[in-house]
Amino acid sequence: MANLTRKRIRLGNRDLPFQLVLIAFGIVTFFPLVLVVITSLKSNTQFYHNFWLPELPFQFGNYSSAFRIIWRYIVNSVIYSGSTICLIAAIASVAGYVFARFRFPFKTVLFLGFITLIMVPGVLTLAPRFVLVRDLGMVNTPFALISVWVSGGLVLSTWLMRSYFESLPQELFDAAYVDGAAEWQVFVYVSVPLARPMIATVAMTTLIATWNDLIWPLVTITDKDKMPLALGVMQFSSDFETDWGTLFAGYVISSVPLLCVFAVAMRQFISGLTSGSIKA
Amino acid sequence: MGGKAMLRRLATSPSGQVVKKQSHSPLHHRMWRAKWLYLALLIPVAMLLLFEWLPAFSALYNSLYIWNGGKVHFYVGLEHYERMLSDRTFRVAITNLVGFVFFRVIMQTALPFFAAEMIVNLRSQRWSYWWKIIFVFPMVVPQILNYLIWRFVYNRQVGLLNEGLKLIGLEEYAHAWLGDPNTVMWALAFVRFPWLPTLQFLIILGGLQTIPQEVHESAAIDGAGFWRRLFYIDIPMTRRQITLAMILTMLFMTQRFDLFLVMTDGGPGYSSMVPALQLYQSAFHFLEFGYASAIGVVLFVAMLALTIINLRVSAGATNQ
Repeated sequence: MANLTRKRIRLGNRDLPFQLVLIAFGIVTFFPLVLVVITSLKSNTQFYHNFWLPELPFQFGNYSSAFRIIWRYIVNSVIYSGSTICLIAAIASVAGYVFARFRFPFKTVLFLGFITLIMVPGVLTLAPRFVLVRDLGMVNTPFALISVWVSGGLVLSTWLMRSYFESLPQELFDAAYVDGAAEWQVFVYVSVPLARPMIATVAMTTLIATWNDLIWPLVTITDKDKMPLALGVMQFSSDFETDWGTLFAGYVISSVPLLCVFAVAMRQFISGLTSGSIKA
Repeated sequence: MGGKAMLRRLATSPSGQVVKKQSHSPLHHRMWRAKWLYLALLIPVAMLLLFEWLPAFSALYNSLYIWNGGKVHFYVGLEHYERMLSDRTFRVAITNLVGFVFFRVIMQTALPFFAAEMIVNLRSQRWSYWWKIIFVFPMVVPQILNYLIWRFVYNRQVGLLNEGLKLIGLEEYAHAWLGDPNTVMWALAFVRFPWLPTLQFLIILGGLQTIPQEVHESAAIDGAGFWRRLFYIDIPMTRRQITLAMILTMLFMTQRFDLFLVMTDGGPGYSSMVPALQLYQSAFHFLEFGYASAIGVVLFVAMLALTIINLRVSAGATNQ
């Protein structure tokens, strides 16, 4: 018993210098966030009077007035990002499956048509793509965002799905064929359920990319009611420029959706991002 | 029914028999047999052609034209590229970008490496898990808020930085950080500063975690301390992850200009201009879509070249 305690103390001491550095780093990391939350509970008078510390009474009214504006942007973003994620998951699974499981003429050319696009930066295509979308009459509609987000996301997602389906053992498919399953049944009932982790990865990377995209909505959406969250928050910040409490309450509210995803799917969040990028 | 059987025959099989038989039949037969596969690929291929390939080629093509995005459209050859050489704004933009990317690449690699090194050194597995969560946490904050929060940090009247200086009695250094051409690029370089770049952090952490425990143990037996281990084991063994993190930072920073757009819009004057922002302004403020496309082409070529060089250098270093 005594032996065990001594060992534990020694281990703790070995960790101590690293822990101290990490704690200092952690405090610096969270400090701006804490200050934003503190300020979101102040009126302007309280803010100018005392910059650093929380002051009573807390102004919860800031939150209701910010929410009245922000909620629409959050709903919009959930719709836009949600439909993009569903479309990419569906299309990339099918395309990845076709590329992984079949041989057919021009397969290599078609696949190269997908992956070479990884090299093409979004900034190169920004202006001509805007002209295209404008000429198609999609400006100020959700289609401007969703179509471009889906096609942009397909590049990497198809590649990820293909490598995943390729890694599934051939025996699995043979067994399904022997049992008399048609190709679509093999896809829907065998392959897709097995690919769930990779689909989650694709969903997560797509969510982060679309949720944070600012420039494309900025050039295609001018109608305030249709703005996604990133653009809406920018609009909100210029409308409430000097009303610090409401401004920061809005900032806190707009961080909540991803916070919820993070809380529910923390592991997936982290592993999805890592595996998605490492394979790239 | 017949279609399904045909598909089955196209499915890859380890025997290789099917493949041989296929290569004897004429091309159009093989294509007809794969008709369902082409149909399945129709939507993604059409979308990529329309929204990716067409704009990419349009950018290459229109970089040779004067174009307002509409009817005004005439050929000028390489004039846009020549103009770039003498464009003072573009020169400032390139200088800014090179310095900015150089600084960010070092910071966004060293900082996460440092944190990851601390975390993998912990014996307590539970703590290292929690620290990972803590340092990944700021990514729930939407990207735009990073910029807006740091705009507040640098605010002249009520900014966090100036208030902090006041608090420790250094009020005379208080500054309009984003309004002074001498400090603006430094201020921008430190946006999101103590927060780790999530991707780069997770990549480097993943690399450090794969170093086998025995390597560290035998190094400890040989008397290697923390620093020796860092320079002779940890950094060389995570070279691939470090390279990837650097390339990612470089690519992000070269093409993402939302930071500059939100924080300063290139100002004051042109002192915080970068090429991607100039591209955006040329197209959407001045309707010079041709010039914007030419800037895009130059950026594309530069990014491609840098990625290849970076990969070559790191591959060469690993081979030694």
